[in-house]
Amino acid sequence: MLEKLNDFALKNRLLIIVFGVIIIAGGYYSYKQLPIDAFPDVSPNLVQVFTETEGLAPEEIEKYVTYPVETAMNGLPGVTKIRSVSNFGLSVVNIYFEDGMNIYFTRRLVGERLQEARSQIPEGFGEPKMGPISTGMGLVLFYYLEDTTGTYSLSELRSIQDWVVKFNLQTVPGVTEVLGIGGYEKQYHVILHPERLLRYNISLQELIETLETNNLNVGAQFLERNAEEYIVRSVGLVTTLDDIKNIVVKTEDGTPIYLSQVAEVKPGGAIRRGLQTRNGISEVVSGQVVKLYGTNSSTVIGRVEQKMAEINKMLPDGIRIVPYYEQKSLVTAAVATVTNALIFGIFLVVVVLLLFMGGIRPSLVVALAIPFSVLFAAILMRRIDLSANLMSLGGLAIAIGMLVDGTIVIVENIERKLRKADPSEPKLHVIARACREVARPIVFAITIIIVVFIPLFTLQGVEGKTFRPLAYTVAFAMLGSLLFAVFMAPVLSSFFMKRRKNVSAKDDGKERGLIKWLLVLYQPIIRFFVKRRWLAISLAVVLMLIGGAIFPRLGSEFTPSLKEGTIVLRLTMAPSIALTESTRIAQIVERRLMKIEEVTSVVTRIGRGEVGAHTDPVNSAEMYILLKDPKEWTHGSTQDELQDYIRDQLGEIPGVLTNFTQPIEMTVDELLEGVRAELAIKLFGDDLTVLKEQADRIAAVVGKVRGAADVQADQISGTPQLLIRVDRQAIARYGIDVENVQRTIQAAIGGTVAGQLFEGLRRYDILVRYHKEHRSTPEQIGDVLVKAPSGAWVPLEQLVTMREIIGPRQITREDNQRFITIQCNVVGRDIGSFVKEAQAAIDEQVDLPPGYLVTWGGQFRLQQEANKRFAIVIPATLLLVFLMLYSSFNSLKNSLLILLNIPLALVGGIVGLWLTGENLSVPASVGFIALFGIALENGMVLVTYLNQLVRDGHSYNEASVTGASLRLRAVLMTAMTTGLGLSPLIFSTGVGSEVQRPLAIVVVGGLITSTILTLLVIPSVYRWFAKYPEAAQIRVENKE
Amino acid sequence: MNKLVLLLTMFFLLGTGYGVKAQDDHDDHDDHNETVSTTHDDHKEGEEHADEDEHKEGIVRLSTAEMVEFGIVLDTAGPGKIRNEIVVPGEIAVNGDRIAHIVPRFSGVVKKVLKRIGDNVRTGDVLAVVESNAGLTPYDVTALMDGTVIDKQINVGEVPQGDTPAFIIADLDTVWVNLNIYQMHLTDVHTGQLAAITSDHGISYATGKISYISPVVDEHTRTATARVVLDNSSGKWYPGLLVEGRIATDLYTAPIVVPKTALFNLDDADVVFVLTDEGFVAQPVRIGRTNHVNAEIIEGLQEGQVYASDGGFTIKAEMQKESFGDGHAH
Repeated sequence: MLEKLNDFALKNRLLIIVFGVIIIAGGYYSYKQLPIDAFPDVSPNLVQVFTETEGLAPEEIEKYVTYPVETAMNGLPGVTKIRSVSNFGLSVVNIYFEDGMNIYFTRRLVGERLQEARSQIPEGFGEPKMGPISTGMGLVLFYYLEDTTGTYSLSELRSIQDWVVKFNLQTVPGVTEVLGIGGYEKQYHVILHPERLLRYNISLQELIETLETNNLNVGAQFLERNAEEYIVRSVGLVTTLDDIKNIVVKTEDGTPIYLSQVAEVKPGGAIRRGLQTRNGISEVVSGQVVKLYGTNSSTVIGRVEQKMAEINKMLPDGIRIVPYYEQKSLVTAAVATVTNALIFGIFLVVVVLLLFMGGIRPSLVVALAIPFSVLFAAILMRRIDLSANLMSLGGLAIAIGMLVDGTIVIVENIERKLRKADPSEPKLHVIARACREVARPIVFAITIIIVVFIPLFTLQGVEGKTFRPLAYTVAFAMLGSLLFAVFMAPVLSSFFMKRRKNVSAKDDGKERGLIKWLLVLYQPIIRFFVKRRWLAISLAVVLMLIGGAIFPRLGSEFTPSLKEGTIVLRLTMAPSIALTESTRIAQIVERRLMKIEEVTSVVTRIGRGEVGAHTDPVNSAEMYILLKDPKEWTHGSTQDELQDYIRDQLGEIPGVLTNFTQPIEMTVDELLEGVRAELAIKLFGDDLTVLKEQADRIAAVVGKVRGAADVQADQISGTPQLLIRVDRQAIARYGIDVENVQRTIQAAIGGTVAGQLFEGLRRYDILVRYHKEHRSTPEQIGDVLVKAPSGAWVPLEQLVTMREIIGPRQITREDNQRFITIQCNVVGRDIGSFVKEAQAAIDEQVDLPPGYLVTWGGQFRLQQEANKRFAIVIPATLLLVFLMLYSSFNSLKNSLLILLNIPLALVGGIVGLWLTGENLSVPASVGFIALFGIALENGMVLVTYLNQLVRDGHSYNEASVTGASLRLRAVLMTAMTTGLGLSPLIFSTGVGSEVQRPLAIVVVGGLITSTILTLLVIPSVYRWFAKYPEAAQIRVENKE
Repeated sequence: MNKLVLLLTMFFLLGTGYGVKAQDDHDDHDDHNETVSTTHDDHKEGEEHADEDEHKEGIVRLSTAEMVEFGIVLDTAGPGKIRNEIVVPGEIAVNGDRIAHIVPRFSGVVKKVLKRIGDNVRTGDVLAVVESNAGLTPYDVTALMDGTVIDKQINVGEVPQGDTPAFIIADLDTVWVNLNIYQMHLTDVHTGQLAAITSDHGISYATGKISYISPVVDEHTRTATARVVLDNSSGKWYPGLLVEGRIATDLYTAPIVVPKTALFNLDDADVVFVLTDEGFVAQPVRIGRTNHVNAEIIEGLQEGQVYASDGGFTIKAEMQKESFGDGHAH
């Protein structure tokens, strides 16, 4: 059938050429349309539910808010896990769904159940709402507002951010949310002096009610007059500061008492749980642009930038939007890394072709396979909505060398046949004959390469999302190369390749160029081995033993971390720290960083701003360290080196834990496990004190294991609380109810919002609160006056008991149970062995009370899952490959001989990893998988040829030597193109090269051993695995 | 403690880029220490890290530059004064001992009214003339004391009935300040204590002594009244004005007094961070009497000891930070 396809192609050459041009054009068009991302998005499929309840302690949040939300979500279809964090003033519930479920569907499910949850949350305890329709990669751009005039206050800048910048940016297609942080959200403050309330005998509650009832617009339908309708609109809203001041709070004997007599009324800033600073000198107002799920990062960022330019023109003079983090630069860098590798790879491949083919024409035919296959892959990528990113383009880079293999074999055979052929035979016939000889093994070989990538398609979760794009593009490109080899190569050969005009006996049948010299070297060696095949066997066994010996020495890790090109320094301060103090400390650190030559600017986010992306408490700061162009660095050339230098220069910061990370890494890690470290040990249980004690003990034990770094038990406790308990006896004596006391406490100390002031469409809360001097210490709080129904004013101290205690900072729950996390990074050794040692140490040294349970998560867990799945899928794939081999050769022996290539190829990969000090990681595994395919391909081509020779009547030994010599060029070329095609990835240092490197090392290492094997061992041992008997019995065979 | 040293050293080594090898070395060292001894002063790890290595549990070493950078202020423990005061609401009232109610002796028709509210009068001044019903003779109603007319319930033609005062004359040279003393403060307030009286909007400020405390509490407000007599020659203390009284309930000198900014709660104990030769140590203390700025230290701090009077939070955080990894388990 294949022959027919070949023949068809050769008969309809014009049609095939047109077909080829169409594919190339279509591919180019698709390539231009491809969405471009930095990395494949690995965020889990989750819906976040945020509930803000200002001023409420974690215990209360858990009880009133988190628990109802959490329980409402139980039993939803497709939910894999529910995790919640109850913080001071904020409840976050993460509902994880199975991968692949539609995000809008899952959000609808959650939305329905939220209705239920809402009814369970008491009035005034906040409204649960879902997070942005986005993923961990959604934070595409951060900016701050620069005020060059220095005349705008932080609250004015924040108003500009909230009402001008944010408003406009949110209209950009592909932007789902813009979250503001920093500065002060403007409010109108009604600041009370208790003695004045006392003087006019107005209680706090009365005042708040009066404020609320004096601020209203209504509509009263319409009047009909002279056949016209007049709409009746009654305006009573406060719109200016004076309106608020002039609200009459009480009338005594006809004398009105205005609010301004009782309180100071002035614009002020809302209570905040986060802010941004810059360069250690100033606070800034900033915003984070969140990209809509499924949109194209590069285009969205492009549109946002365009819009920003427009907004900049609208802004008051001297104010400017300054982006300080853009995913776009990362996208560009990541794509540049692979594109460079691709281009350089193509160049090397062409060089190899020229050297080996000894002519430009055949080389040209072979080289054309690359653009054809790549563009063919682009068409299919577009079809399945696969974005161009580090991994998918990486797949193409891996495939570069393999893409030409099929065509090399065909063209090489055509060339040889043309050289030898009888001049009278038509050129097309010669080509058809040449194709017929090798077409079948080529189709099988390429199909097998595609098949060996099947295990990658079965990967789940993060590793699946990371490597599936790679598997897709490899498969697509290989498919393209198959089409090229079968259809295009013969046709193009017929156009481009010439038969030798003067057939001189001298070089007839002889190889030319480089290969001639190689053959001189090779032939004695192969003869030697064919005669002493036991030596060949020993060579193979020795290689395998070496591999076996090295394998256990390899470290293992999940995926080497990608360098994003942006350094983030994370500060964790004492859990009890106040925002003002954490700001002061952060600015000290900023100033230290600014002294480093390479640092141009530092922008820090402390705590959280508008809810939606970050939920950090105020003791946590993230510093974006903006650097000079890498060319100007003097203290290191890579991100890692510079990071080490910065770490060194920064020194110890008293009272602060520091941790270097990167923006996407940080966000995605947080979504994955709720922790940012490689390893997360979780301890489940009910009692917070016990959890804390045991977690500290576990942290201590783990910290002693070699390789442990940044061991850290979650800071669940350590927040001081002033616990006010209402004394029921005391309030009974005065006839005061609990609510009165509680509302007074809430309003006096924390403030109560009593309506809003509308300035046009901008609305600002009116906050009623005691003056700072009357609510800042427990003593002052004790002096807060509560008005009894009898009219008596009673100080709080007589109604309540107050105690200072240390309470929890946050309460984390997973699957309806409280837990605490111990995070840990592993330095200088692999996580796998570290976990084993740590597990043993914990079992031995920590005695957990009943009802408490330890689980292990983090990157380590993902790796385990991947290994488990590979353990099933890889053997299954091998079986499939074997079946294909068997159906191709119809011989068990041949198939086994070819499979023998695999272990020897593995050896090379293992040695390669060991020599370069890389760990056994998922990308390395992907390399091994690719290696399978390549190793099999070489073996197949050789064995097929040997079979033919034997069939043609040669003896085994003769066939082995001749066959191997004749195939030397093809085998070396395919090996070298593949190896050299990958080599740019080994030496690349660009963004994302960390992930590609182990893969490339494995393939190149494996290629070396497998090529040696193909060329030396297979011919030597062929005798034992031969399909056909030696010459004598051939005729019998043919009759069957 | 071993682990603590290990951890610290490890942080340091990581910082200096020693990498894995250095950690390995250190591991050996640590093992050695665990088996051989528990003292750390001889625990050395590379000469240049001597400082880091001498870390003891709970000791924070900071350079002068760091102290300046992080705003840590030092002070020497010594005696100080602690003044306690309570702030209570009050009202200016007419001096009850300097008030005269002038009631016409005989009922009759008022013929003349000579003084109005606000007029200053002297003893004997004629305030009004009333024609007695009995003899139809007019008689003078005269002021019985020097003072100011603060109320007048008499007009020409009226026939004042019964004992309603026609004039109230008060001597406003002095006024009473009635301070409301809540139950919780009753035991602290005594006669003779000084009280600073302030009125809102900075109208006035004066001090006086508490001369009287009511023996009963009001049955509605459940407050007692403490009285201060104020000189009002300037006339700015208007009776009826609501004021605030700061009563100095206690003033004493204690041998060791520190500002409250020096006090921290660490592991459920009150501590002061004392600077020793080796660095800052958390010194548990017992706190005596306090006011809103200062605290008396009864136990734990000796005179002459240098302590962090401000910015101590950084020291506390540094101590807690060390416990993140090591825990309180041992």
